Amino acid sequence: MKVMPSRSNEWVRPLTSQKPASAIIEIDRVSQVFQTSARKDHLALSDISLTIDEGAFVSILGPSGCGKSTLLYIVGGFVSPTSGAAKIKGQAITGPGPDRGPVFQEFALFPWKTVLGNVMYGPRQQAVRAVEAEAQSRALIEMVGLKGYENFYPKELSGGMKQRVALARTLAYHPEVLLMDEPFGALDAHTRTRLQNDLLNIWERDRKTVLFVTHAVDEAVFLSDKVVMMSNSPGRIRQVIDIDLPRPRRRNELLLDPRYQKYVVDIERMFDESDEAGPAS
Amino acid sequence: MISPAALTRRAAPVLACIGLLAVWQVASLVLKNDSFPTAIEAIRAIPDILGDKESLINILASLRRMAIGFGVAVIVSIPLGLLMGRSRAVAAFFNPLLMVIYPVPKAALMPIIMLWLGVGDITKTLVIFLGVSLPVIYHSFEGAQAVEEKMLWSGAAMGLSPLQRLLRIVLPAALPEILTGCRTGLVLALITMITSEMIARQSGAGNILFNALDMGQYDTVFAMIIIVGAMGICLDAIFERVRARLVRWSEPQFDMPLSFS
Ligand SMILES: Nc1ncnc2c1ncn2[C@@H]1O[C@H](COP(=O)(O)OP(=O)(O)O)[C@@H](O)[C@H]1O
Ligand SMILES: [Mg+2]
Repeated sequence: MKVMPSRSNEWVRPLTSQKPASAIIEIDRVSQVFQTSARKDHLALSDISLTIDEGAFVSILGPSGCGKSTLLYIVGGFVSPTSGAAKIKGQAITGPGPDRGPVFQEFALFPWKTVLGNVMYGPRQQAVRAVEAEAQSRALIEMVGLKGYENFYPKELSGGMKQRVALARTLAYHPEVLLMDEPFGALDAHTRTRLQNDLLNIWERDRKTVLFVTHAVDEAVFLSDKVVMMSNSPGRIRQVIDIDLPRPRRRNELLLDPRYQKYVVDIERMFDESDEAGPAS
Repeated sequence: MISPAALTRRAAPVLACIGLLAVWQVASLVLKNDSFPTAIEAIRAIPDILGDKESLINILASLRRMAIGFGVAVIVSIPLGLLMGRSRAVAAFFNPLLMVIYPVPKAALMPIIMLWLGVGDITKTLVIFLGVSLPVIYHSFEGAQAVEEKMLWSGAAMGLSPLQRLLRIVLPAALPEILTGCRTGLVLALITMITSEMIARQSGAGNILFNALDMGQYDTVFAMIIIVGAMGICLDAIFERVRARLVRWSEPQFDMPLSFS
């Protein structure tokens, strides 16, 4: 474990300072322009470059409307960027694929399928035999804490349970990268905390690469190895911050840890400063 | 046990029917018009119609045309509506076409269709087909358009092709809306069925009705109206059962007030 640097800006490094060998996702000078209704162009993302290491938990943190979702959709292949390119394992991303599994704030479950049916959907699509797919899916449902709910329909579940199903459904087809877009944003504080803990436990078991979008500073620090701070209008990367906190992380220990507190306070202060400086400055 | 509230709810349609018949009976007795038989006279004529082989053949012929017209319309309209809902190009192509057909009473097309196809089954079935198609296309279109994009993205990430997404995500997701369209279509099928038989007599329930009208057998006329009405109620009740079963999983929609099931 590294020793904590004494000055805060020592662990705040500019993005370009390193190029790790084990990069799984590379975002290279991506910009996104949206046509607004008034025939004016809106620059949602401006010249974004970012490299994500295999097995890293990376959060994209920023105010609402700064282009976090758009960036995630570009990596997912759901949106193609106006300019620049994104790559996964050196291959240009041209569309969605099972190597990148999305989890959306809106859950986006298939309402006509039961919990089990939803989770089995991906494996079945990939021609895993029904018996096998079912066994794996049942295990996953148990892992996300929904044993006993296999035959429930999504409408019969709470928001937190729906998001657990969505996570299990995505994990079921073994994507190499999880793309999570404010997955806990629609949940109440208590449920959010529990899902954060569970996500961390699951992640610490198999260390999948996670790209996690959030606007909550504490959530980003608690979960991540690296926090990508974005600023608004146009969406740009402000800073990339390594979160050097020990794992496995326990919430009750971490909240008392001065290093954790310092990360949260420093990041919040940086956002405050940029607010005072005004947008697009 | 049935709760008092549920009992009231179930009894309400029955009471409404009895009330309607009572008003009819009284009105008829007061008006004393030859062409307006009493409810009891009309009801008495029902067994005669249903016991007559000729009449039954007529009614069955009607139902067959209706089933074929409805079935073909549903099979054609659902894919068309779904494609329109998911593709702007398809919608742009078919929308003007449908907007032209939409306000035209389908029965008004019958004389022309009769010139081309004669007065037989094909003409009548085609008119039923046209009547059913529009609501089914419209509701399929709306349903397909409303499918949450993230649901399609989730499917795409699992490796579903565009066609698979249409069949395995858009279709089931839009099913509640599609079935609402089919239900409207079913009622319209019954209406166009009778109208078509009014214009091109030859066989069918409408044929019995309008022949009786010509011959001044008013109790038969009103008996046929009751029979057609009862057919509508039964078909709708059966359809509603099937619908409720197919979309059990969906968020509870507003209750359809015209249901007897
Ligand atoms: N499909 C779209 N069409 C037009 N503008 C869009 C579209 N998607 C996003 N935007 C705009 O791009 C900006 C960034 O959006 P988004 O990526 O959703 O931000 P965030 O997720 O950080 O809240 C916003 O100003 C939003 O209004
Ligand atoms: Mg967003």
